[in-house]
Amino acid sequence: MTQPLLSIDDLHKSYGSEEVLEGVGLEMDQGDVTVLIGPSGSGKSTLLRCVNRLTEINSGRIALDGEDVTGTDTDVNELRKQVGMVFQDFNLFAHLTALENVTLGPKKVLGMDAADAEAAGRNHLEQVGLLEQADSYPAELSGGQKQRVGIARALAMDPELLLFDEPTSALDPELVGEVVEVMRDLAAEGITMLVVSHEMDFARSAASDIVFLDDGEIVEHGPPEQLFQNPTADRTEQFLSRLHAHEETA
Amino acid sequence: MSTAESTTSPNPGLRDRVGTVFTVRPLTVGLALFWIWVLARWTTDFVLAGVSGVDRGTPFVPAAPFLTTADTVASLATPLGVAGAPLMWVADTLRFAADATAYLPALAHGIWTTVLLTVFSVCLGFMLALPLSVVRVYGGRWARWFALSYTELIRGTPLLAQLFVLYFATSLTQVLRGVPGVGVGFVPAQAFWVAVISFTLNSAAYQSEYLRASLESVDGGQLTAARAIGLSKLEGIRYVVVPQGLRLALPSWTNELVYLIKYSSLASFITVQELYGRTSTIANETYQYTELFVLVAILYLALVVSASALMDRVESHTATAGVGHTRQ
Repeated sequence: MTQPLLSIDDLHKSYGSEEVLEGVGLEMDQGDVTVLIGPSGSGKSTLLRCVNRLTEINSGRIALDGEDVTGTDTDVNELRKQVGMVFQDFNLFAHLTALENVTLGPKKVLGMDAADAEAAGRNHLEQVGLLEQADSYPAELSGGQKQRVGIARALAMDPELLLFDEPTSALDPELVGEVVEVMRDLAAEGITMLVVSHEMDFARSAASDIVFLDDGEIVEHGPPEQLFQNPTADRTEQFLSRLHAHEETA
Repeated sequence: MSTAESTTSPNPGLRDRVGTVFTVRPLTVGLALFWIWVLARWTTDFVLAGVSGVDRGTPFVPAAPFLTTADTVASLATPLGVAGAPLMWVADTLRFAADATAYLPALAHGIWTTVLLTVFSVCLGFMLALPLSVVRVYGGRWARWFALSYTELIRGTPLLAQLFVLYFATSLTQVLRGVPGVGVGFVPAQAFWVAVISFTLNSAAYQSEYLRASLESVDGGQLTAARAIGLSKLEGIRYVVVPQGLRLALPSWTNELVYLIKYSSLASFITVQELYGRTSTIANETYQYTELFVLVAILYLALVVSASALMDRVESHTATAGVGHTRQ
């Protein structure tokens, strides 16, 4: 039996008296693309942020490559080298050009020299179709371009796992496509991705697993065909029908 | 520039630049002349006077021509009675110019001390202010409390009082006097260094407040993103938050620099012969208070405008789209 890349066990997280995650368990193998869906407030983003410890958990276990990453002796910076993150509102470094955004991590965290980091950075920008914007500042880019730089920035660290926190939610509808396309390319390349998104198009075409999260627990977990066509839980069905209704009106 | 022109300009940034060049030119020329004179004065008195036999502090322009012209103008004005008032005013201005030629060499030395005092204090103050402001925003409870107390103590008491405490109530002066090299050759004497320390401590408090406000206005997502790529908190602050915060702080920081140029005149109260100190010494000897203080006001204005112009340059040089107030 091969060891899962990511395994989450009985994860609990609460903010004050409000329990956001109530015993979540999840496993991902190398190359898996898992999409987390669920109503707002269901704990999707919290779960994601627990994985790279932007949020500290209360109890449970998260292991990356079999190694516990939630211990107090875990070097969080070491962990974050291996787990890239793409944010809903991009969070590009505003004072740096697209290329500098991509090379900051490799230079300062991985200790690459400037020339190597730049060459690699250009490759990553090319991968997301933004080589020509290498010298543009974030303020000069469109939302879709910003998010693609955000993806390139995460890729530049050569992570084992990429986390996407609602990567298309802050985008104008006509800009969603370019970002989804880049994500689909990454999925096809075999990059392991844990994605919080309601982009059904992406979920259907690129996901290996869909996880439906509601009220801090995993209600249903399965391959997209099964979960979308024949959901077993009522809550999943209700959520999906609301989502479809919204998609049709949009 | 006409409004029609400016609205049709394709590039708003360019319009602004063109506008600036036209409106600022006389000022630029004035400042250039001022600094040419200052540098010539320093070179002659501090460098050449030592090497060759050039007299230290000899005016570049003799006072005599101004005086004879003034007398001529005055003699023309006297028969005219009240109608000659404008001419008398010209004569007075010429006499003022004659006096100025005599005083300016000494005042140029004062400018040297004022510039040194300001540059040392503002730079050293910045080195203290940066960690102070970072501690204020990101520090632990006790560190924050310490930084806040320091800032409030300094901002809540008069600068002159701080200067006097350091100069009279501590043994700082004695200690500095004992430091080898102090007061020898180009190195100013101990009172100057007491003033530098005092202004540094004071300016650090004010600068740290400006910086704190700027650091706080940098979006929190910036540090989160920095942490997410594996930078430590301190690295994130250093490579991501501070560079943006400094750009945001530049306008208010310029304000502090301008204040300090003028506040440095307080050093004269502890015997430092900076620009104000020299002026006041000469005025006490000659009783030409009005002339001298008008003259020193002009010199301070030149220093302040130079500093603002320099910081404007720095601001436009470091301007980044989307960070701070990009001028349109």
